[in-house]
Amino acid sequence: MEALIKKRIKQVIKGDQNAFGDIIDIYKDKVFQICYRMLGNRHEAEDISQEAFLRAYVNINRFNMDLKFSTWLYRIATNLCIDRIRKKKPDYYLDAEVPGTDGLNMYSQISSDTRLPEEDVESLELQALIQREISKLPEKYRSVIVLKYIEELSLNEISEILELPLGTVKTRIHRGREALRKQLRHV
Amino acid sequence: MTCSTEVIEYMHQYLDEEILEQDKVKLKKHLDECEDCAIHFHELKKTIALVQSTSHIQAPANFTENVLGLLPKEKKQAVFKR
Repeated sequence: MEALIKKRIKQVIKGDQNAFGDIIDIYKDKVFQICYRMLGNRHEAEDISQEAFLRAYVNINRFNMDLKFSTWLYRIATNLCIDRIRKKKPDYYLDAEVPGTDGLNMYSQISSDTRLPEEDVESLELQALIQREISKLPEKYRSVIVLKYIEELSLNEISEILELPLGTVKTRIHRGREALRKQLRHV
Repeated sequence: MTCSTEVIEYMHQYLDEEILEQDKVKLKKHLDECEDCAIHFHELKKTIALVQSTSHIQAPANFTENVLGLLPKEKKQAVFKR
């Protein structure tokens, strides 16, 4: 996998934009998911994911081939998300899409006389609730929780992506888990 | 009853799969005796399960085409602009 990516990167550096299309295809779902779980909003997640790939493209010469490409790409995406969260106005959520309701799009395409099975509705509500609670976490805990439990990355990788010492990552994961525990204990 | 932060620390080490074998024994023994800590530990594990249950979502349709459409035509020009 890494060998294929590095081959594509060399092609991109030579000016082959289609090779970059292959890179986007491989990583778009992962990057979009990080952004969606960090921002809790589909529209913003798309915006920031696009920006992350654009920045990766423009700065591809600066990519150190000794690193894993995903580490570098996730670092760009996470930093963009953190910047966006910091710039957000406090009243932002008033007009934001309710997070976690994406699944509804799928059901809205089913003819209207099809009733939703009870457990699917419950599951969608639960998903929305969990996303809301993730969105309430301070950004420094949110990023580690998303990378650890949604992207399923190792503590070492998270430390590289966020450019934080391993000890700091562990502390933030512990605090993030405790904060979420308090928020989700009665679910 | 409020238990020592040491026990909570063991729980997190356990969840990170970094707990020493002797500490794991201590933790298990304590959880058998202390209901509050057993509940705390259960809540932590439930929290993780809930977060992991959030279904995997996919990038929007045409995402790749859209990004390719936004790329600067001449890469060198884009670098000069920065």
